[in-house]
Amino acid sequence: MALLQIAEPGQSTKPHEHRYAAGIDLGTTNSLIATVRSGVAETLPDLEGNHLLPSIVHYAKDGTVSVGHSAKIFQCSDSENTISSVKRLMGRGLADVQAIKAFTANQLTASGIGEKGMPAIQVFDQIKNPIEISGEILKVLAQRAESALGLQKDEQLGGVVITVPAYFDDAQRQATKDAAQLAGLNVLRLINEPTAAAVAYGLDTGNEGIHAIYDLGGGTFDISILRLEKGVYEVLSTGGDSALGGDDFDRAIATHLVELAEVDSDDRQAYQMAMLKAREVKEALTDHESIDVHFMNWNGQIARELINELMTPIIDKTLLACRRTIKDAGLKPADIKEIVMVGGSTRVPLVQEKVGQYFKQEPMTSIDPDKVVAIGAAIQADILIGNKSNDQLLLLDVLPLSLGVETMGGLVEKIIPRNTPIPIARAQEFTTFKDGQTAMAIHVVQGERELVDDCRSLARFELRGIPPMVAGAARIKVTYQVDADGLLNVFAEETTSGVQAEIQVKPSYGLTDSQVTEMLKSSIEKAKEDMQLRMLREEQVEASRVIEAVRAALDDNGKLLLSQDEYEAIESSVIQLEIIAQGTDIEAIKEAIKIVDTNSKEFASKRMDASIAKALVGSEIDDI
Amino acid sequence: MKNPFELFGLEPNFLLDEQELSQKLRNMLQSVHPDRFASGSDQEQLAAMQKTTQINDAYGVLKSPVRRAQALLQLKAGLDGSKEVTVKDPVFLMQQLELREELETLSAKKDMGGLMDFAETIESMEDAQIASINELFQQEGENQLLESDKILTEIYKLQFLRKTLMDIEAAEEKILG
Repeated sequence: MALLQIAEPGQSTKPHEHRYAAGIDLGTTNSLIATVRSGVAETLPDLEGNHLLPSIVHYAKDGTVSVGHSAKIFQCSDSENTISSVKRLMGRGLADVQAIKAFTANQLTASGIGEKGMPAIQVFDQIKNPIEISGEILKVLAQRAESALGLQKDEQLGGVVITVPAYFDDAQRQATKDAAQLAGLNVLRLINEPTAAAVAYGLDTGNEGIHAIYDLGGGTFDISILRLEKGVYEVLSTGGDSALGGDDFDRAIATHLVELAEVDSDDRQAYQMAMLKAREVKEALTDHESIDVHFMNWNGQIARELINELMTPIIDKTLLACRRTIKDAGLKPADIKEIVMVGGSTRVPLVQEKVGQYFKQEPMTSIDPDKVVAIGAAIQADILIGNKSNDQLLLLDVLPLSLGVETMGGLVEKIIPRNTPIPIARAQEFTTFKDGQTAMAIHVVQGERELVDDCRSLARFELRGIPPMVAGAARIKVTYQVDADGLLNVFAEETTSGVQAEIQVKPSYGLTDSQVTEMLKSSIEKAKEDMQLRMLREEQVEASRVIEAVRAALDDNGKLLLSQDEYEAIESSVIQLEIIAQGTDIEAIKEAIKIVDTNSKEFASKRMDASIAKALVGSEIDDI
Repeated sequence: MKNPFELFGLEPNFLLDEQELSQKLRNMLQSVHPDRFASGSDQEQLAAMQKTTQINDAYGVLKSPVRRAQALLQLKAGLDGSKEVTVKDPVFLMQQLELREELETLSAKKDMGGLMDFAETIESMEDAQIASINELFQQEGENQLLESDKILTEIYKLQFLRKTLMDIEAAEEKILG
């Protein structure tokens, strides 16, 4: 179910009307929202002038939810009901995250989401899953944008681009998209954080060549190698570690502080305080060689040298990932023209020094590393919503981790290797094992290792409705399609009979579509909004979007590509939809949209072919 | 469906200009990439995704010497180049053994420098192998048929070198932890 809300409900948009789109950096430690206004992309502040929204959510006993600075106050006093670093739980399993010290054993519980169990947080008598918690952060950001843009009460953002670490797997991406859906946002695209940073640096302006983006955030590390040529950003390879970040610096320092002060390392309150102190120490030592520190009953001096020693193993781990990623791109460190630094943790002098040494050049830090990702996302959102002419910039991204299926003996057979440009699809043929077999299961995993147990389990797909045949006679073609958001879809067909097998998806750590709808419904009921009205509006907006898109396509080359009959069939279905969309029958509108879709399917495909033909002619002319 | 060469408007040929190829890729994707239809109709978004998928896939085939040679064999001789072949060339078999042995020795010694040098050696062997495959394809002329079985063998050899390179990388990763 896609929530596409492009314009004010009930009003159709004019072709060149400005639409509001925003870019969101949903970070582990802080989140930001940015938009393009009068051609300038900038992050938006709250009423107090803060651009950074701490990614912290507090649930009060009376059900009040606070987000950001107002939630941060509770971090020490009501730590059990204050959740930070929720990004680290997205699309993960309970077992994966129990080692993370940001959450206590009391806090973490089972969410009932996913076959293998996504973790959730217990607040009072309620259980909050990471998708809901992230949704709260997104809602606050969206409200900030709506008020900053001066949108009216019934107006909404046309769409958003949300950034994710390049190294996020399918489950983590899907969880992010689900959170946006819960917050009522229309996701134009999920883009990778390093790619967004590259866009923000406007690397296309006379800066062609190979660039590396080193992104060290609070909880994640990403490295991407991009080639920029003629306005096209082509990601050559990407790598990193989705469980490594600046928080690890704090933890290393905090553990040291706890040792110095001889406090019980299981004392959560003390550890929380040590973490806060650690961050302070780290930040202070950015500009000083040595500082005085008081922590609990311990007083003394801490030198930069000491924390450098604590941080070195963590930074070395990032450099190892850099090496692998450069190799994956088929390059050497010397081929990198520029290295861009992203993420608050790149402010640490030792990080800049060691990265500089590795790449043998001064890293670029001219844009605020905290804001650069949101700014890039805003620029991309503005393009995707259609505010800019098409021939500007294009992002070509890759699949960050190999996709595979489980085979006999718990082994993984790779279907799509990592760093394959997306969207991409691969097909595989299976046959039945027994006479009359009508169902089969496929277990899809993501990762580079050979054993299923060492990879991330994404989902189990159960194919049903295979026509009964003798063993080995059925030919089941399973297609794995990865879309432009990097999300996987699976289709199956029995090729001898042409029967489409029904697929039931059981995500290992994510929500099924019906669970998303259910959560959405209950959240709306709670907000006491009129569900019917909201659904009607969504459908009307969808209808006007379809009408506009198909009309524009017809005007463009409909007469050229279609016979008169075909043209008229599409046109009359559009007119039909226009009339029906003015009514209030949701199902009728849905049906009318479907008819337009079916009628224009061939046409859409013909248009793509025409574009390709035109592009090829263009390139031949350029070659001369 | 069009073959990869057709899709890129190229004559079926083993030799190709990589720059021209990526130029064509960029031009085509500029007009059909799903980002160009992010606010278009569902049908347009779907068609854009399917076309881009086809183009990306074809690009992958054309860019890789192994897959390109296989596609060309399929096209010219109707041969499935991805099926197993038995190589009887004793010189090659001997060489195969020696290369595997060297890899094992170097990884047992955790010799990073040695592994890097070894990778370079294999890379230059790859280049030579690609050149000889090209020669075989170019020989096809008025009076000469394509020596498709020979090409199959040569593709297999190239695949072996590729696999060795990947194993060297894996060995390096293991040493680095």
